[in-house]
Amino acid sequence: MRYLIFLFFAVPQSAIAQASGWGNVGKAPEPKGFSWTDPLWPDFWMAWTPATLVIFVGIFAAIAFIGILEVWKFHDGLTRKGILGLTTTFGDRLFITLLGSVYIFLAWLGFIGQPVWVPLFCSIGWGIIVFWRV
Amino acid sequence: MKTVNNRGWFFVIPVVILVAFNALIPMMTVVNYSVQETFGNNVFFWQGLDWFEQILRSDRFQAALGRQFLFTAIILAIEVPLGIAVALCMPRKGFWVPVCLVLMALPMLIPWNVVGSMWNIFALPKIGMLGYFMNDVLGVNYDMTQNRLAAWITIVVMDVWHWTSLVVLLCYAGLVSIPDAYYQAAKIDGASNWAVFRYIQLPKMKTVLTIAILLRFMDSFNIYTEPFVLTGGGPGNSTTLLSIDLVKIALGQFDLGPAAAMSLIYFAITLLVSWIFYTVMTKDDPS
Repeated sequence: MRYLIFLFFAVPQSAIAQASGWGNVGKAPEPKGFSWTDPLWPDFWMAWTPATLVIFVGIFAAIAFIGILEVWKFHDGLTRKGILGLTTTFGDRLFITLLGSVYIFLAWLGFIGQPVWVPLFCSIGWGIIVFWRV
Repeated sequence: MKTVNNRGWFFVIPVVILVAFNALIPMMTVVNYSVQETFGNNVFFWQGLDWFEQILRSDRFQAALGRQFLFTAIILAIEVPLGIAVALCMPRKGFWVPVCLVLMALPMLIPWNVVGSMWNIFALPKIGMLGYFMNDVLGVNYDMTQNRLAAWITIVVMDVWHWTSLVVLLCYAGLVSIPDAYYQAAKIDGASNWAVFRYIQLPKMKTVLTIAILLRFMDSFNIYTEPFVLTGGGPGNSTTLLSIDLVKIALGQFDLGPAAAMSLIYFAITLLVSWIFYTVMTKDDPS
């Protein structure tokens, strides 16, 4: 009788355990799809994720692109005096864009919070203004 | 058509490699850490921008940032005028020039942690010379381990002692480069001492003074070792500057994600202030 009572409680328990993945211990995990936020190379100390990698590749690509433009197309990076009264080149404008974007994002996060779509569009707008007028 | 030989840029490559290894790669790692959570063992979990939000809104960060700005403002307000004044008083030629220069350079040769421990022992009540003198000879209640104001005065005086010489030496270099003809012309015109300072010496010192203020801003904004050794951030949290708080979060609590986010905010502030300052000071230069 005691044995039956034990079985009565144990059988559903084991079914629940099975359903929640206890039976998968020791099996190879199923391959997951690509995710922007998963570690790119697990166990590597720099802890890259695809998202952060893309940001840095973007920044370096922008610098390289500006360098190429200055060497072959526009010498001195179209130096001009903009609305802030600063004499800027392409590189200066990129720097002002990036630094300004950082502050737009930080201000948004500090005062309003996530998500950050609005500051993203603000930053793009800021970049256009900087390359156009500053 | 003018041709420009750009081959000189190849000589910059070693510096680029050095900067890549000691600044760029750690910096990229910090960015990666700042959007993830880790419990060690190189295992990371995505956290998004939560850390930035959390740090920007925390009272602790805001208080440390306020203390940091206060400290830097006090340091600059004392060291720059004092440095210019000392540089103006130094002899231009003769036997005393090297003596003064060596005396001025001495504090800067002492490592940060040694400066901290020196001032710690010097300022401790009962043990240190300064502490004993203030408490038992002058009768002033001065205890930097208990009193917030005393702790602040001690770290400010320590920094002034350590780094005013930098401003002095840079200003002195600017002053000795002024040709005598300027002074003679000023004398003929009957210019006052103030006019000589305002229209000859100060403009000639502008470049070196820019560098001096920039260096002092960055150094005092990033200061860690001296106040850490001297007061350890105390009493309470009264001298916990931004860098001390950062190290507490990163290495004391091992919260690498929030610490990374905080150090990026820190970096953004330093970068912006340095850039504004440099741009404003060099705006009128044709070069």
